[in-house]
Amino acid sequence: MSVKAFELVPAVERDLLMGDKARINIECIECCGKHLYLGTNDCFIHHFLLDEVTSSKGKLSYSAQKLLHKYLGLKKPVAELRAASALERLIVLCDGIVFLVDMVTLETVPSAAGGGAKIRGVTAFCINENPVNGDPFCVEMGVLSSKRRTVQIYMVYEDRVQLVKEVSTPEQPCAVSLDGYFLCLALATQYMILNYNTGASQDLFPYNSEDRRPIVKRIGREEFLLAAPGGLGMFANAEGVSQRAPVNWSESVIGAAVCFPYVVALDESFITIHSMLDQQLKQTLSFRDGHILQDFEGKVILASTKAVYVLVPLPLEKQIQDLLASHRVEEALILTEGAQRNIPKDKFQILHKRILQQAGFIQFGQLQFLEAKEHFRKGQLDVRELISLYPLLLPASSSFTRCHPPLHEFADLNHLAQGDQEKVLRCKRFLISYLGEVRSTEVANGCREDVDTALLKLYAEQDHDSLLDLLASENACLLADSVPWLEKYHKYFALGLLYHYNGQDSAALQVWIRVVDGELQDSTRSDLYEYIVDFLCSCANLDLIWKYADWALQKDPTNGVHIFTKRPGSKDQPELNSDDVITYLEKHNQALLLYLEHLVLERRIQKEKFHTHLAVLYLERVLSLISESPKDEEKLTRARERLQALLRESNLYRVQYLLGKTESCEQLLLERATLHGKLEEHDKALHILVHKLRDFPSAEAFCTWASSSRDSAYRQQLFHLLLGVYLDGNQTAAGGGNGDLEMAAVDLLNRHGEVFDAVRVLRMLPEGWSLQLLRPFLGRAVSASMHACRTSQIALGLSHSENLQLLHDRLKERKKPIFVSEKKGCHLCHNTFSEPDVVCLPGGVPVHTHCVAQRVRDSPTKRQLTNSSNHT
Amino acid sequence: MPEMSKMKKPDVKVVLLGDMNVGKTSLLHRYTERKFKDTISTVGGAFYLKQWGPYNISIWDTAGREQFHGLGSMYCRGAAAVILTYDVTNWQSLAELEERFLSLTDTANHDCIYAVVGNKADLTDPKAQLSRDSDVAPEDRTECEEDRTEPEVLSACPTPPASPASLSGVMLHKQVAPEDAAAFYGRILRYKGLDEKSSLPAEKMCFETSAKTGYNVDALFEALFDLVLPSILRKRNENQESPTVDLEECRGTSSKRSRTSCC
Ligand SMILES: Nc1nc2c(ncn2[C@@H]2O[C@H](COP(=O)(O)OP(=O)(O)OP(=O)(O)O)[C@@H](O)[C@H]2O)c(=O)[nH]1
Ligand SMILES: [Mg+2]
Repeated sequence: MSVKAFELVPAVERDLLMGDKARINIECIECCGKHLYLGTNDCFIHHFLLDEVTSSKGKLSYSAQKLLHKYLGLKKPVAELRAASALERLIVLCDGIVFLVDMVTLETVPSAAGGGAKIRGVTAFCINENPVNGDPFCVEMGVLSSKRRTVQIYMVYEDRVQLVKEVSTPEQPCAVSLDGYFLCLALATQYMILNYNTGASQDLFPYNSEDRRPIVKRIGREEFLLAAPGGLGMFANAEGVSQRAPVNWSESVIGAAVCFPYVVALDESFITIHSMLDQQLKQTLSFRDGHILQDFEGKVILASTKAVYVLVPLPLEKQIQDLLASHRVEEALILTEGAQRNIPKDKFQILHKRILQQAGFIQFGQLQFLEAKEHFRKGQLDVRELISLYPLLLPASSSFTRCHPPLHEFADLNHLAQGDQEKVLRCKRFLISYLGEVRSTEVANGCREDVDTALLKLYAEQDHDSLLDLLASENACLLADSVPWLEKYHKYFALGLLYHYNGQDSAALQVWIRVVDGELQDSTRSDLYEYIVDFLCSCANLDLIWKYADWALQKDPTNGVHIFTKRPGSKDQPELNSDDVITYLEKHNQALLLYLEHLVLERRIQKEKFHTHLAVLYLERVLSLISESPKDEEKLTRARERLQALLRESNLYRVQYLLGKTESCEQLLLERATLHGKLEEHDKALHILVHKLRDFPSAEAFCTWASSSRDSAYRQQLFHLLLGVYLDGNQTAAGGGNGDLEMAAVDLLNRHGEVFDAVRVLRMLPEGWSLQLLRPFLGRAVSASMHACRTSQIALGLSHSENLQLLHDRLKERKKPIFVSEKKGCHLCHNTFSEPDVVCLPGGVPVHTHCVAQRVRDSPTKRQLTNSSNHT
Repeated sequence: MPEMSKMKKPDVKVVLLGDMNVGKTSLLHRYTERKFKDTISTVGGAFYLKQWGPYNISIWDTAGREQFHGLGSMYCRGAAAVILTYDVTNWQSLAELEERFLSLTDTANHDCIYAVVGNKADLTDPKAQLSRDSDVAPEDRTECEEDRTEPEVLSACPTPPASPASLSGVMLHKQVAPEDAAAFYGRILRYKGLDEKSSLPAEKMCFETSAKTGYNVDALFEALFDLVLPSILRKRNENQESPTVDLEECRGTSSKRSRTSCC
């Protein structure tokens, strides 16, 4: 496949040049601005004015106007024409002679006085377009002559030529090109580079100039294009190095030129156009009788023997668009990037971006998503261009309109996929991943709403897991667009999340509730009910809670009450007033119970109201279970255990109130005992336990419980009380009793002997009790008493020895004894001592005890100074 | 004429030389595109610009066909490394390197380094059939007769082995042994007038590769790139045209060279 890079436009048609003279051929051409000169085989020079005409449709054509023609008088073909416009001269090669003619009049310039204006024996010459000598009023020319193996360098002036240098070559040269000091030569068997200034030479490569006409074409600073064996166009620079890969011509190339980024070559029947960027053949134009191909100031001109054409490059953008139109993405990009330096920077950037985007869409259309993505990224594509391909994805409110001219040929995705659903699906998956990637980058700047809304729609439609993630995190999905879409795909849970994200919690709850109630179908979450409870639980809007808790509690009181009980106590959440909750829960018995349990048992709130309320609820439950028939004993037991536990453990509930409530029921004796215990009516409690319930273990347990936080005296008293109850009961029931109270008393003593005051017990016990019966109690009492006795003896002994030890230490401390005798006087009263009891003042001065006492009385501040001592 | 845009100027040049069909183009494809694809016999030449760290390395793929032989010298001009490629299943391809291609390297830099590469190892060697770049050290080549003296350096063309090429299963008979390549490497050094002791040793500069499986391909190019770094630095230095010799730089590069050559 080919690119259309150039168009062949006729410039001078056959008629204009030779009319009906059939044997006239064009031999050479020169073009200089608008001036076109042709040399013919009949030794004429023709001068035309060439005007570019652009039609209204933008089509370029040329109109040639003949100005003059002139016979040179040599009867030989004009072999070569070169303009030296600064000198207003044409340099002409005809019949082996180089001479000058006036550009305007075409008159041959006569030789000047000082030197000739003619060079004879010339086979070829070239002009140095990049001369080292900067004189604008002379032209440097390289000349090959037929006889010598040399190259001559001439300076051409207005009216004379001057030989400045002659360098010899190893073989006869047959073609030459010149740049700076460098001659690029085709010799008989090879090409070479020759520096005419230093004489240094560099062989390039072998080439048989006899077989094939060599081409030596300067294409830029110190770079030449050469015809190489095998029909190659080789590049070589002045150092003899190839910096570009060769292009592959035909074997019979006649002329070549570079028109960046293309190499244009002419053979007998074709013009071939290769890209220098990738060496590929890009375009072939058929061209009969091709004869000359030359470029003049960037304009490529061709001639057949009879007519002249201009090879007009199509605008680069057009070429690129053509490449894209035939889906040749890589080439289009190479061409674009290759042209970077020929286009102003800002213009290039715009072009490059656009081409990248177009390339991306082409690859997208071919489902080459990876490549497409890369090009979209590099081309900084407005993602909405892509989104807009998918029907209905852009929000209705989006201000986006597609770029014009369009970046692609697709109306929409359906057009692209041509009904292939698999394709549609793959495109959708691509967009999902692409939008997912770009939504948080700068690509989405300015169109976040469009991107997120599109993504939401795709997720919903494709049943994609990330829908929830999108909605649960920061997003810019537009409510108005998203709601109907989510409803359409039954994504009600997601819809709720969307409402929530948009601050419409009430709407969210309503949707979810309808799903739980089965009015709407969405299986996203099987635990949606729990989700709602959680949601309400952490809901900051108390009104919502009051509004929807009812529903939740009706649905499931046990879980529903979590709204109130699991509420995280964080600072930014308003606290729920417990009293309000209790009032609210009035109609939800079970939930109320759970809530009170939460307050009393979990949070341990010390409020009489809650405790009493809970106790009453427990009691009511027990009462209702009792009144049921048949009774569920198990349930009843559990209910009573709870009640009992609360009654025992809480100190806050109103005991009298509860006692009043239990009075009616004879079955709740144990509870009543506990209540009496709370009132410290221990005798009543024990009476119930011992006489009504005859539950001795409970009676014992009661004592232990009721005294649990009291001192041992209280405890002892309580146990004595129980013992008394047993013993009294035993006596009163002496006749009818079967002695079980007696046994209970014995057991109590034997089990809890340590609590009792053994002496008091012994006094209380009936005379007739055998020792054997009380043996464990007595044994323990005796040993306890022994133990106490011995312990105190040991303590006494230890204290005594400690005291002695201290005295000893003290004595040692003083070191020397203090002597007291009848002869010594007391320092305070100066009387002598009559007794050994003295008091020592600091420094070991002995004084009378009473003197010190006297002194201490007199001066209270010095009280501490005295140290009592008992020494002799 | 508008200013012709020049491509990124390469810092250094590496040239692939060798007879047609030995797999030069395939090696370059494998290295640059990481795949083995159909090729057509190269016309003229082609090159690839490789970014190697901060440097641009141009790798020239030349045409092995006789017709384009004359271009070889030009391609080699100024080359910092030349990869002389043969086909391990084809004895003649090694002989051609010596007869036709070695002289093309006369135009290369005086400190140009030479690698001798036997391609298509997958055809003869089971371990080269693993489709990964082998990073194991090249096999021990102690048998390589480095001190074997060749009286006539240039005409010392290896003679084909006596046993005829035979097919053992799918494995082709290997016609060129690693020792032959090493011996050729020795002759390259002598041809260049280089002292074997101060030059890179044959064990480092002879490779067996497979463009088909990728075996040893990265290792080859990367080893060469590391070895041409000093050449790049020297070239950059020259371009700065500093009149004094920077001893630090020289030491730096020489130590770098010895470092790269030990791994
Ligand atoms: N089995 C195998 N075949 C290979 C390998 N490398 C190349 N070939 C094949 O050998 C043939 C020639 O490969 P090319 O890479 O074109 O050879 P070349 O050296 O570039 O040849 P010219 O361009 O003509 O000089 C092709 O058919 C390749 O498929 C290889 O490592 N293993
Ligand atoms: Mg090839």
